[in-house]
Amino acid sequence: MVSFKSKRLYAIWIGCLIAASPVSTAFAQQTQNAADLEFFEKKVRPVLVNRCYACHSAETKPAGGLRVDDRNGLLTGGNGGPAIIPGDPDGGLLIQRILHEDPKLKMPKEGAPFTSEELADLRKWIADGVAWPSEKVPAAPAHLEPMYEKLRARHWSLQPRRDAKPPSVQNTAWVNSEIDHFILAKLEEKKLTPVKDADRLTLIRRVTFDLTGLPPTPEEIRAFTEDKSKDAYARLVDRLLSSPRYGERWGRHWLDVARYAESTGPSRNVPYPHAWKYRDYVLDSINRDVPFHQFIQEQVAGDLLKVSEVERDRALIATGFLALGPKDVNQRFKERFLMDNVDEQVDTVTRSVLGLTVSCARCHDHKFDPIPAKDYYSIAGIFTSTDQLSGVVNKMGGSGLEYYRPELLVHLGKGLPPVDAEQVKRLKADVAAAQKAWNEIRGTARGLALAADGKPTQRPYRLKLEKLQAEYLKLTDPAEYGLAAHGLKEGRIADTSLRVRGEAERLGPVVARGFLTAFKVADVPEINPQQSGRLEFAQWLTSPNNPLTARVIVNRIWHHLFGQGIVRTVDNFGANGDRPSHPELLDYLANTFVQEGWSQKKLIRRIVLSHAYQLGSDEPQEYREIDPSNRLVWRHSPRRLEAEEIRDAMLAASGQLNLQPIEGSPAQKFKMIEMPDNGPESRTIHQKANENQHRSIYLPLLRGVIPQSLEAFDPVTQTLVTGQRETTTVPTQALYLLNSTFVRNQSLEFAGKLLSASATEKNAERIQRAYELTLGRKPTPLETDRAQTFLADFEKLYPALAAAQQAGEKSVKGQTLKDRVDQADQTDAERNAQVVLDEQIHPQDAQHAAWMNFVQALYASAEFRFVR
Amino acid sequence: MKNDLNFRPSRRTLLRSAGAGFGHLALSGLLGQAASQGASRLDTPKPLLPKSPHFAPRAKKIIFLFMEGAISGIDTFEYKPEVQQNHGKSGPGGGILTASRFQFKQYGQSGAWFSELLPNIAQHADDLCFVRGLHTDTPAHPQAVVQLHTGSANAALTRPSMGAWLLYGLGTENQDLPGYVTINPPPNFGGAVNYGSAFLPAHFQGTRISDQGYLPNLKASAKAELQRKQLDLIQSMNRDYAQKPGAPDPVDGIIESFELGFRMQDKVPDLLDISKEPQHVLDAYGVKPGPEGSFARQCLMARRLSEAGVRFVEICQGGWDHHFNLHNGLIDRSRLVDQSTSALLTDLKQRGLLEDTLVIFGSEFGRLPMAQGEDGRDHNITGYSMFLTGAGVKKGFSYGATDELGVKAVEGRMHTNDFHATLLALMGLEHKRLTYRYAGRDFRLTDVAGEVHSGIFA
Repeated sequence: MVSFKSKRLYAIWIGCLIAASPVSTAFAQQTQNAADLEFFEKKVRPVLVNRCYACHSAETKPAGGLRVDDRNGLLTGGNGGPAIIPGDPDGGLLIQRILHEDPKLKMPKEGAPFTSEELADLRKWIADGVAWPSEKVPAAPAHLEPMYEKLRARHWSLQPRRDAKPPSVQNTAWVNSEIDHFILAKLEEKKLTPVKDADRLTLIRRVTFDLTGLPPTPEEIRAFTEDKSKDAYARLVDRLLSSPRYGERWGRHWLDVARYAESTGPSRNVPYPHAWKYRDYVLDSINRDVPFHQFIQEQVAGDLLKVSEVERDRALIATGFLALGPKDVNQRFKERFLMDNVDEQVDTVTRSVLGLTVSCARCHDHKFDPIPAKDYYSIAGIFTSTDQLSGVVNKMGGSGLEYYRPELLVHLGKGLPPVDAEQVKRLKADVAAAQKAWNEIRGTARGLALAADGKPTQRPYRLKLEKLQAEYLKLTDPAEYGLAAHGLKEGRIADTSLRVRGEAERLGPVVARGFLTAFKVADVPEINPQQSGRLEFAQWLTSPNNPLTARVIVNRIWHHLFGQGIVRTVDNFGANGDRPSHPELLDYLANTFVQEGWSQKKLIRRIVLSHAYQLGSDEPQEYREIDPSNRLVWRHSPRRLEAEEIRDAMLAASGQLNLQPIEGSPAQKFKMIEMPDNGPESRTIHQKANENQHRSIYLPLLRGVIPQSLEAFDPVTQTLVTGQRETTTVPTQALYLLNSTFVRNQSLEFAGKLLSASATEKNAERIQRAYELTLGRKPTPLETDRAQTFLADFEKLYPALAAAQQAGEKSVKGQTLKDRVDQADQTDAERNAQVVLDEQIHPQDAQHAAWMNFVQALYASAEFRFVR
Repeated sequence: MKNDLNFRPSRRTLLRSAGAGFGHLALSGLLGQAASQGASRLDTPKPLLPKSPHFAPRAKKIIFLFMEGAISGIDTFEYKPEVQQNHGKSGPGGGILTASRFQFKQYGQSGAWFSELLPNIAQHADDLCFVRGLHTDTPAHPQAVVQLHTGSANAALTRPSMGAWLLYGLGTENQDLPGYVTINPPPNFGGAVNYGSAFLPAHFQGTRISDQGYLPNLKASAKAELQRKQLDLIQSMNRDYAQKPGAPDPVDGIIESFELGFRMQDKVPDLLDISKEPQHVLDAYGVKPGPEGSFARQCLMARRLSEAGVRFVEICQGGWDHHFNLHNGLIDRSRLVDQSTSALLTDLKQRGLLEDTLVIFGSEFGRLPMAQGEDGRDHNITGYSMFLTGAGVKKGFSYGATDELGVKAVEGRMHTNDFHATLLALMGLEHKRLTYRYAGRDFRLTDVAGEVHSGIFA
């Protein structure tokens, strides 16, 4: 037995095991007697198994939304209402449908009718109160509670932050900030001296990439390297922090953590056409330096915050954070769909904000961290009391718009223009009729038979349905007016039950809504019983007294600036996570962060102005032996650019980069209909992504449809909270750099610009410009010579070889993708065909070819993809 | 195979061993991350080099013929006389039993039953090992396909695919080729999740190619001589960069990756170019252009890839989801797979490849013996079958069974997790030891379940 500390919880548990279910309050578990249970097992369950399970059970399907293998499923019933009302045999649909006179409605649909004996048994069982064996919550292992006690008292991240004072150091000349005291003190302990500082060229390239995700222009480099004033670097940092480019980089960091994407992902990929509004909210908030605690509160409970009328839509859009997760819309059972989505929200919010894997406690008490399952369900209750307005419902085997519910979107603005209610009503009925007709013919032999026009007979049925749906939505759907977003709203307010082994249907005791018990947060209001509790949860998360939140975000910031966190497992501060290398520094940063109003910009400024950040990247061998991963920060570790930075830097160098933000997304006009990853929608996405010359943050990002220009360099897995990206080195990256349409296109553009700038310009000057634009430095004389030789050789070789290459291409045309005319018409090979986007890029002459290949080599070089 | 949090390679060992290997030059993954990240860790500097299994393997490679949509066993290789005799009667759980309309007969010494739909595969009866007690959790394709490929159907926490787990555990033989190739995978039902690496490092993910052998960016953008010129320039820049003090660790890996990529441009298209096969081989497989020949082309490519040392090859024929149009649909689909599957088995056998290659033929679940509508069958997750052949499994053997009507697995019950545990065991891996730490927890292909069914081992 789980020992609940609260007497109240215990009482609830004993009193009503299924109280959270909307329909079971009349039923008290303890009234069941052994005889009733035996009667159920002997007489009733076999009837349900033999007569109903083929269409109404977990192992088959819930036809009409009904399942009979779960008591709650019977009580809630299917689409038509409760199947069973305890004590009233003829009141529920189960008996009514068995006795129905219409053969279409009579159950079972196929097979012999129920015998009178079977019917009598069912009636008796219902009249006697619907006995059903209860769920036993497995007892927690005995060692857990003592382990929890110990962790609650001692695990570093759960303890209040200490008032960490900068330690004294020997080499006081080196330090220029309090941060440096913490760093240098540790180094001196190990008898290590920091390496020499980065030169100014390295420094401006580093800080510009780190703060904006873009390379500095040659002019910016020149200005900075020539500026000898004392505050030149500080002014550079301030310029970068106030540039809109800053939000485009640091907003991306948050979108990684928020597992942002524009579709539901597996297993049926339905677009989120309004997701981009959340993306823009994040970029705007980061650029405006919205205090981090407010930023989190808006995302968790924006709809519950007191905001001015003008700020209302913004706060609603913020709640997209928890609505844009991956969703299994094909899930058969509503309860599982609900609990899976709740779990996804709990996991996302706790790992992103707290760095804890609370979701592990869905099925059992956490094995490593002091998070009992009841804590999980106390938070889960907050989200079961919340409606996700993602715009989708679950349905097994749905097609077309069957997953879409416009009413399940956030409605922005002041409402839709008035419509003719009669017309809406009529259209609604027409849609229902057309849907019914389509469902009946779809996929049948008659439907698939070819009509006179050579197309399947069913086709006009589908077209008619789609036309009517479009007319109906035109009048009623906020998305048609640009007034839709994905987000959250308050739902049916109630505590939820613990689920045995995490299985949605296996209800254990009801758990009061609340927060984690792993640590105490003073001064947080109790949950308002009239509300979901998200507001108080958001306040609890962002309280200055919460030991984790500030530590987690400052560690994320440190990670982005130094390449590794003070705690390297940036998403896990639990017992299985890393220990901080500089615990006092972490607390100092978190304290300062909170004191300075949770400002990310101020903290970033403080860090990049430290001496530690400005170190060079030299690497004396003996240091490597002592601290191979540079945890103590004796140098600045080089960093591989992220996928977005590599693409943006190529566009910037070729002069093609468009710095205007993009309004919306190529997915914004998509209907919320499943899109296969090789269908017309995916093709549109890939094409738009390939044509796009804006910053990568504005590329469309639907789950499973990754733009080719990002794919090679470890973009985020958009289903999981990702605080730290992978940086692999694989041959597919080499192939991308050598052969891809995008890289070749940029190279040709770049070459054209170099050649057309001035006809009289010498090659050496062009080479220098190419180096400055790609690598941010001048070439050495040796490098210039090498480039000259390459250009001459290539130009000479090119004409003969290029002709041979282009002649060869004609015979190896890639396959084309046929449009989907009608899903039912398709053969599989076409259905599974890949979207092929390779396109050969041909320069106009040998000179362009040589320059194109030269600048492409610069793009491909290792130096291009690293900042030091 | 535990990813050890305290692993710290010395830089010198790493640089010395930064040798060849497709897709695994994760030097930054080692130096940047191995040293810096608890989540993503490798216990060897060359993650795709062959690794020692936990115990002597029975098979070294796998070819999986995935019949997406759920092939009806009761109409193909799961003969149930009780269903034939009770046609029209009420079935368990409701519904009307419907006999198969196809003629069955026995083949070979083992006497395995096959319907007239698969006469060519039937010729291999004495080489096959049937697994007839399979069951899984979800009777919906999207989740079941994902579960078959990753062990779990939890949409919120994507798991690595089984091929990725195999590469993580075993590496691969041919370092110039991808270790895990999936041809023509379904565009939905999880899509890339089914061959993804999820939280395992990206070099373990499957390489997707089309049934025409298309791989993005593989086609050289210029003649080799021209491109070599460019590559020489790139490499000399890279070598200069590597010499600079404090150069990033992965530069040596980058240099190597360019050479590999350059070689792949030649080797991989060559390998996937089945037109070089002799005519009698093409004819045996039934290779023809267009969708009609898709599966035949995949079978032949699978043989060539597997022969060249690819650890895990998956090919796919969809369209088995016969809720309607069962009769003609089965005739149509069977025609597409029977000859080419049979040719693949013959070819592998003749070349001696079945000695170390395990072949699997099956779907995400089965279909019921009861009718659905006029001419269809609905999904069945409670009992269905697959067949295996080749390395490590008994020949002419049948393991497990469903009840007399083919509804529920009653003998040799094998859940998807058990199936995975058994496959890993055939490959020399103990499924409970093949773990990877992510988000504070050790994950396995078999989640928290899985039992090895050694009864099928040869």
